Amino acid sequence: MIVGSQKSIDEIWNMVKDFKKVLVFGCNTCVAICHAGGDKEAETIATLLRMRAAQQGSGMVVTHSSVMRHCEPEYFDPVMDELKQYDLILSTACGVGVNFLSARSGNIPVYPGINTSFYGAVQKAGDFVELCGGCGDCVLHLTGGICPVVRCSKSLMNGPCGGTKNGKCEVSDKIDCAWYLIVERMKQLGTLEKLAEIQPVRNWSHSTHGGPRRIVIEHLQELEQQENKG
Amino acid sequence: MSGGSLENQGAHFERVKALKETRPYSPCRAACPVNTDVQAYVGFIAQGRYAEAFEVIRSVNPIASVCSMICHHPCEQACRRCSVDEPLAVRPLKRFALEKAADYRRNKRKLVQKTKNKSIGVIGSGPSGLTAVNDLADLGYQVTIYERHPVLGGMLASAIPPYRLPRETLQQDIDDVISKGVEVKTNCEIGKSITLKDIMAKHDAVLVAVGLSLSRSLPIPGVEGPGVLLAIPFLEDVAFDRKPALGNRVLVIGGGNVAMDVARSARRLGVRNVEMVCLESAEEMPAWKWEVDEAVEEGITIHHRWGPKAIKREGNTVKGLEVEKVLSVFDKDRRFSPTFDKNQTTLIEADTIIITIGQMSDMSFLKDSPVQVDERGRAVWDSKTHMSSAKGVFFSGEVVTGPGSAIAAAASGHRSAVAIHLYIQGEQIEGNLPSYDKEKISQLPEDVIAKINRAPRIKLHHLPPETRCSSFVAFESGYDEMEALEEAGRCRGCGGGAVVDKNKCMACLTCQRICPYGAPVVTSFSEIRPEFCQACGLCAPECPGQAISMVSYDVREFRDTLPSLVGAVDSKRNEPVIVAFLCSHHVGAPGFTLPDNVRKVPVHCTSRIDVNDLLKALECGADGVAVVRCSGDSCKYKGIGVRVNARVVHTKQLIGMLGMEPGRVEILTADSHNGNAYNTVCADFSGRIKQLGLIQRSNRL
Amino acid sequence: MKSGSNLEKVILSGQPAVTAELGPPMSADGHEVIKKANILKGFCDAANITDCQTAVVRISSIAAAVLAYREGLEPVMQMTCRDRNRIAIQADLLGAAALGLKNCLCLAGDHQKFSAAGKLKGHPGAKNVYDVDTCQLVGILKKMRDEGLQEGGDKLEVAPKFFVGASWTPMGDPIDFRPMNLLKKVNAGADFIQTQGIYDIELFRSQMEKIRNMGLHERTAILGGIIVPKSAMMLKYMDSSVAGVSVPKALIDRMNKAKAAAGDDKKKMRELQEEEGLKLTVELIHQVLETPGVKGVHIQAIEWETAIEGIVKAAGLYPRPTFPAE
Repeated sequence: MIVGSQKSIDEIWNMVKDFKKVLVFGCNTCVAICHAGGDKEAETIATLLRMRAAQQGSGMVVTHSSVMRHCEPEYFDPVMDELKQYDLILSTACGVGVNFLSARSGNIPVYPGINTSFYGAVQKAGDFVELCGGCGDCVLHLTGGICPVVRCSKSLMNGPCGGTKNGKCEVSDKIDCAWYLIVERMKQLGTLEKLAEIQPVRNWSHSTHGGPRRIVIEHLQELEQQENKG
Repeated sequence: MSGGSLENQGAHFERVKALKETRPYSPCRAACPVNTDVQAYVGFIAQGRYAEAFEVIRSVNPIASVCSMICHHPCEQACRRCSVDEPLAVRPLKRFALEKAADYRRNKRKLVQKTKNKSIGVIGSGPSGLTAVNDLADLGYQVTIYERHPVLGGMLASAIPPYRLPRETLQQDIDDVISKGVEVKTNCEIGKSITLKDIMAKHDAVLVAVGLSLSRSLPIPGVEGPGVLLAIPFLEDVAFDRKPALGNRVLVIGGGNVAMDVARSARRLGVRNVEMVCLESAEEMPAWKWEVDEAVEEGITIHHRWGPKAIKREGNTVKGLEVEKVLSVFDKDRRFSPTFDKNQTTLIEADTIIITIGQMSDMSFLKDSPVQVDERGRAVWDSKTHMSSAKGVFFSGEVVTGPGSAIAAAASGHRSAVAIHLYIQGEQIEGNLPSYDKEKISQLPEDVIAKINRAPRIKLHHLPPETRCSSFVAFESGYDEMEALEEAGRCRGCGGGAVVDKNKCMACLTCQRICPYGAPVVTSFSEIRPEFCQACGLCAPECPGQAISMVSYDVREFRDTLPSLVGAVDSKRNEPVIVAFLCSHHVGAPGFTLPDNVRKVPVHCTSRIDVNDLLKALECGADGVAVVRCSGDSCKYKGIGVRVNARVVHTKQLIGMLGMEPGRVEILTADSHNGNAYNTVCADFSGRIKQLGLIQRSNRL
Repeated sequence: MKSGSNLEKVILSGQPAVTAELGPPMSADGHEVIKKANILKGFCDAANITDCQTAVVRISSIAAAVLAYREGLEPVMQMTCRDRNRIAIQADLLGAAALGLKNCLCLAGDHQKFSAAGKLKGHPGAKNVYDVDTCQLVGILKKMRDEGLQEGGDKLEVAPKFFVGASWTPMGDPIDFRPMNLLKKVNAGADFIQTQGIYDIELFRSQMEKIRNMGLHERTAILGGIIVPKSAMMLKYMDSSVAGVSVPKALIDRMNKAKAAAGDDKKKMRELQEEEGLKLTVELIHQVLETPGVKGVHIQAIEWETAIEGIVKAAGLYPRPTFPAE
């Protein structure tokens, strides 16, 4: 899922300090799972903002609430009228939610309460790792399920480079060398020989390098019209 | 979808109360004939909230004080702690709460407006009649009670001896009901002072709740004549201070609860030698076991498995009871069908015999009335509507259900009141009467039992047998406050635990990871299984969607009240404002004193305290916030200390971002057995906060 | 002859090849390059001109290589994958060829996030490119040279004739995969290989045995990397912190002994260790050249270009071969 983490309260305060009525608007899907922007964290941010406002003698009014997601309009449309009572919505959803809500919030600005970081998994409680590069052209079958695009710091397709040390990446000894992992995994799967094939130059246009992406499933296009008719 | 409007924090509390009704009941509540929410009121007692405990009890039970002394407590028998160590002492806790709430209760009594222009006549003021009167008065009807005895209460006043049910205690319940504005006619016997026809003419509906007022006798030789008494007349004599004629050796025939009352009353009338004889073995005796034990303590001997054959007299004087050996009491279909060995007989010597083998109703007043009785003299009624064969005349209680407990009679009274109300409103009765048959939470799983600390039940206080037999004074004295809090703390909160709002849950698995008891099961959303949940509250503050509420003990209640708890903070104050969240298991009770500047928030368990609660306290104006826990292993839940610590550390980080000193939020521990220890640690903390400085806020909330 | 470069000629002649290294300055003034080029000229067959090594901005490899070329030193330009996409890479290669450059070493490039850490500020926040990796880059050069085509398929009017090299870390993690790693670079078309610095001869030789078994030594010219040690501290640092470099304890001990012989004299300590370092370098050069399958050495005297002359002479590799002009 999408993993993010909260912005510092100083940064948030600087963003919001000139507004009079702020809603901290939480999202209870991905960002809640990574404990960054769910209802609970939204409440914490709201409380801290109120306390900061009190410290600064500001009359800012801050409340919080949340909906299940900010990335599907059916979830926030029912409360849109109430959202518009505020002069700023601080969305603690991921960047997707901020974008999406912002397009529908009319004259009310929507600011981000968290930094959206990566597509990741929950290794264990409170421990999230980036595992997918979102490149739009998945080749995990060639690398034993280990993403070379995002888990290799250099996105090598024919790694490793010379920087591997004790199985760790040259960038930091806390980062596993992805190609080290790939070699070990392919060994385990008995498919090490496959790595002898040179992976050709990639077509990056399926990723963000090709411009913002959009996927439309033709056979679902009429769904909402049916709902309205039916 | 999360509903049409932004969540109102207060509304949350109302929502969970309604939610409890849709879920399986705790076994104690399911076992109660009126489904008293035992877990809720025991929970309130544990937090020192006695008035609220009273409200829970009284809201479903108009004979609450009576039950607090004499109920046979099916809730205790069903208590899930039975599979751990011993069940909760619910009845003594109920007694404690009612006694503590006496003033509150008295102040609440007031007249109820008569909004319906209709009146109802209730014949009999025993548990079922009194309950119906209560309910009908609440609905705004004018009610008149017709009671044959000089006092209200039916059997509660006239047959249950005062050493079990003191007069003043019964009077509490009666006063609650009468104060609503009920017309009372005592010394008014149906069929003698007034006829049923008269009553039917005067009222829009009539309730017959006359109970089983006649004692059965035995058709055996020698039964006629002096020295042989029947149970009810004997007990009525005791109740109204008429000295019944007893000799020196009293023999009570019977093995039920009434027989116990008879025997023990005889003891208290000065008879040293009281014995009992019954068909049943000790295990088969219908009387409650504790009553038998208490009787035996009082020196009463019980002869088991003997059947009465004949009363031996010398002249007119009773010499004893000839009995024959019982071979079996119940047949293979478990029906009462005793068989005897006629060749094995013996004589039990006695000069007075009291026959206590059962009661029956006196339906003589129904002669020549439109209310039919069957060929065996029993009232004809429809149990689905409580109506007799005569329109507008209803039955309630033992007169139609047969012998049962007082609380079961109260349940019957509730149903009757609804029946009468629907009848008067012209609505259908059948299918609309309250049912008390509810699904209950299943047994404690083995691995949960292993994680519950053993804690013995606090013993009840009985007067020594000799002392108690010297008078009719109540032989049981109640718990003191420390005992009550400790006993209430043994409750595992069945049914009061965590519940997930599916609309907010996104199946993140956090609750599943944190629960020490394995209660949550997460599929497309989390479901917290009530048979596992121990209501510790550890999960709720971890949920990133704040989707978990506690059905009881929810902290959202006090988070909303923090502003008023802290109050207006005087900017010229000398002492810091401290908010202390206290574990109520040992601490959050009126008995503990804390320094004056400490605002106390008792919580069911400190595991339920969220980072947001601590921040809120500071936001409301506290200079320092403390989480006060017991040191050592006395915590009744597993794994709490580590999580509470992590949350306090996180809170320190957050307030550090605002430039507040991390030392303003701390965990304090003290020895829970030392009453002063909490005062000391809070005072020390307050001193440290004073040194950090009192926070000047430019903007009050 | 693929490129006609001096390095290619030396290798084809069968004599051991010697390459050195020249690091450009952080300056808009090219004098430093010119100075270093003149120091190295004649003592090596070609010199690597590093390309923003450790992700630090210096005069670009191509520009410095042209300056060096004009001084008479044959450059090996370096092309990392870190800073340029395939479009810029190919454009730069065409420009380099047009300016007369003939040797190109392909490498992935040190990641910008950590490399300058500690000593310089660098540009850790830069957006790195890594559009292609080393193997793919070698392939691009080969396609341009041998097919006259751009990577995307468009034709080149005139193909750039490069002698294509790739870096290789024979003792890096995972060590058992490094032979396959070399195989891929050779299959992609690497004409010559320069390895990471070698100190552990035994380990290097065991890797080379595997290489020979795969026949790779005949398909590409492997030049063993030699890093000239200046001090025991430098050896220790490389052993613990530089990926793919392991230094046997014996060598560190030798350096320490040399240091100890100076007593408290700091100047002497430096001198004795440098002296020992040079001795060590020459020994390593011989050991590497004696390893079957190795076709030369790549000597890195970091910020010590002046030592190259002495080393090459002491190793018996002077004078360097010359070829008649065409």
